[in-house]
Amino acid sequence: MESGLVDGQVLKEMCISGTAWLEKGAPDINAINVFPVPDGDTGTNMLLTMRSALQEASQSSARDASSVAKSLSHGSLMGARGNSGVILSQFWRGLAKGLNGKDSFGGKDLAKALAQAAQAAYEGIVHPVEGTMLTVIKDAADAADEAAKTDANGLVSVLEAAVEAARESVSRTPSLLPVLKEAGVVDAGGQGVYVLLDGALHFLRGEADKIQYWRPQVVAADLPLALKTTQTAAEVEAPYGYCTNFVLKGQKLGLKKIKRALKKKGQSLVVTGDNTTVRVHIHSLKPGEILNYATRLGTLHHIEINNMADQYAEFIKLQKERLPTIDIAIVAVALGDGFLKLFNSLGTAMVVPGGQTMNPSVRQLVQAVEFAPSDNVILLPNNKNIIPTASQVEALTSKKVRIIPTQTIPQGIAAALAFSYDMDFEQNARTMEEATKGVSTLAITRAIRNVQLDGLEIKKGYFIAILNDEALIASGSSASHVVLKALEKMNIAGIEIVTVYYGAETRDAEADNIAKEIRAEYPVEVEVFYGGQPYYNYVLSLE
Amino acid sequence: MVKVVTDSCSDISPELAEKLGIRVVPLYVHFGNEVYRDNVDLSTEGFYSRLEESKVIPTTSTFAPGCAAELFGELAEETNEILTITISQLLSATYSAALQAKAMVTKDCRIEVIDSRTAIGGQMLLTIKAAEMANSGADLDHVAGWVRGAISKVHVRMSFDTLEYLRRGGRIGKAQAFLGTLLKVNPVLGIRDGATFPIARPRNRAQATDFLADFVKGFENIEALAIEDATTPDDLEALAERLKDLVPPEHTYRSKVGPVVGTHVGPHVLAVSVLEAG
Repeated sequence: MESGLVDGQVLKEMCISGTAWLEKGAPDINAINVFPVPDGDTGTNMLLTMRSALQEASQSSARDASSVAKSLSHGSLMGARGNSGVILSQFWRGLAKGLNGKDSFGGKDLAKALAQAAQAAYEGIVHPVEGTMLTVIKDAADAADEAAKTDANGLVSVLEAAVEAARESVSRTPSLLPVLKEAGVVDAGGQGVYVLLDGALHFLRGEADKIQYWRPQVVAADLPLALKTTQTAAEVEAPYGYCTNFVLKGQKLGLKKIKRALKKKGQSLVVTGDNTTVRVHIHSLKPGEILNYATRLGTLHHIEINNMADQYAEFIKLQKERLPTIDIAIVAVALGDGFLKLFNSLGTAMVVPGGQTMNPSVRQLVQAVEFAPSDNVILLPNNKNIIPTASQVEALTSKKVRIIPTQTIPQGIAAALAFSYDMDFEQNARTMEEATKGVSTLAITRAIRNVQLDGLEIKKGYFIAILNDEALIASGSSASHVVLKALEKMNIAGIEIVTVYYGAETRDAEADNIAKEIRAEYPVEVEVFYGGQPYYNYVLSLE
Repeated sequence: MVKVVTDSCSDISPELAEKLGIRVVPLYVHFGNEVYRDNVDLSTEGFYSRLEESKVIPTTSTFAPGCAAELFGELAEETNEILTITISQLLSATYSAALQAKAMVTKDCRIEVIDSRTAIGGQMLLTIKAAEMANSGADLDHVAGWVRGAISKVHVRMSFDTLEYLRRGGRIGKAQAFLGTLLKVNPVLGIRDGATFPIARPRNRAQATDFLADFVKGFENIEALAIEDATTPDDLEALAERLKDLVPPEHTYRSKVGPVVGTHVGPHVLAVSVLEAG
């Protein structure tokens, strides 16, 4: 064997070391797996693929590099698991091609083989995506090629260059692949490639003991990662100004002093670090002033200023890619924080506050319709008294508006539930209106004075039950009693589901109790949900 | 004669596959470090009882390209035309693995790999029909051409008690629009453009089953129908009974959602798949 060259036996040992290192890193790699499907198994799949590769290599007695690489290639091909495993097996196929016919190999040979491996990896994928392990393999191969141009560089230096390039490449993956940026992680497969190469390098450097006592670190991203947000359109606050990030270096910087000074200059201020290095994050309308202040204290590094309106537009674009695109927006009228959340969860774009004692104005409704993120708007008034107001909206906007005449909140919820991504505007309007027909609403509130109504004598403070916002059908001193009495008067044969929405001033235990009593009396499914509505202790939906 | 190959996500029963000469390449289910071949080492029944008892959340993976290449090599001994129909590549790496397997085959044999852009019953009906055409002597171009044209005539609807399994396995796709629903619903999803897609939110299982029945009834001309359950055979029979006048029994296929797909949809799924005629 020529000096500086190693044989197949060493290649095998490099793989064993790389696989052991990968095994230690696998749980972390699983945890950051979001692309192409976030199923949390990239580390395991790469590990299983490598184990299969090693098993085949260990069964062969060949000592030449070419044969060992071939058995690694075949073993990984037979045992490839998942997307990452398939790419890894392609990597080995290319590497084996590069080492074909060689008894032993050095830095130059490795660089050449890595280039072949990168090519094979890309060729193996129908639609290669950058910011994944493909990019990391390619960057590592390019760096190895560059290092091998210097004759003095042997195998260790070339692999060192490849590992360092892989690490840097992993840190860049979120900039290349938006889904990673959004999830706040680097690419799992890329991290796996880095760990595998790093483990092989440990063996060449004679640092096998490191593998025993350490664990591979997940590479940190090179840009501030976005937090996962699940805000709905109605709650989103329009972002403004510039997201400003930099590192400040100097002497005796004083975190508290900097925090105090910057606090007035913007929002979302974060100041971390120590007396010599401080990282600053702030949303500000005048980033120049922030930088001016900071340059007086020391030197600035890694300055990054982004227009948040652009970032927001990008976020919305991402959301659109992830969610079904349908050009219809629903606007609902409701009162109560529980109902607001509920309508949002059903895909309602805007909720206008309003109800029995607080009818929204036409202007408010028009504004909501204008603001809704579509030119086709379905409006759910959810109250008999609001329907006439809602009917005026159509004449006051250029958008296409369909009013579903929902008289109560439960009808509105039934309509929103019936909304389908599979139907167009007109079909949806029809289906949603149809869905309101099978719903009855029972509202429970307290009488505000003594009164004789619908043949019932009602004392002030008594609970009363109102059916479909029309008929007073029961009264009494206990809410649960009134609910049961009302259900008895209604014909509820054919009703399958009762949903009890309890109000802002009602305790959940009391609501659960009423649900229990209904279940004991009738063969129906009962669900309890916090509506948070004022005045009405309960609103019951019967469908 | 054209040999037809598919993957185990097609939910074709071993008996039917045997009868029609369809070769099924199994995907894998992992419980921790244990690996099972879909519907080979682990039966559907065994899987679901384990799914409900096991603390370990199972995961799945595609078959290795080498396994498919071995099968292709074996088939190439008896034929020079192979048609492979895989689950949608947006749901699994199976298509990609099959393409690589194709590249590894050295024997003189034409191999077509088609992404069905669907899964379960939809993939099943395409594969059954393709095998029937192959068995009656159609050549590869003819059968492959038919499959490509028929993909748009396949419609799948699945009803769920929970979307949790789909979310956990990362296959929820655009159906995540239904994830946040705060009321109890039994969502119905479809497969559109190769990925899961939100369709409707019935409030309970009975309404969800009604939705599936109405969906099938909405077609004027049905060539074949697949009805599937996981652990609820009575529900499957009840649904089949409601649909029996729409499709003749010889074109109605009952099946079980297998372990690999079951990992992602859970034990209470019901599904109908329609192949439109014409």
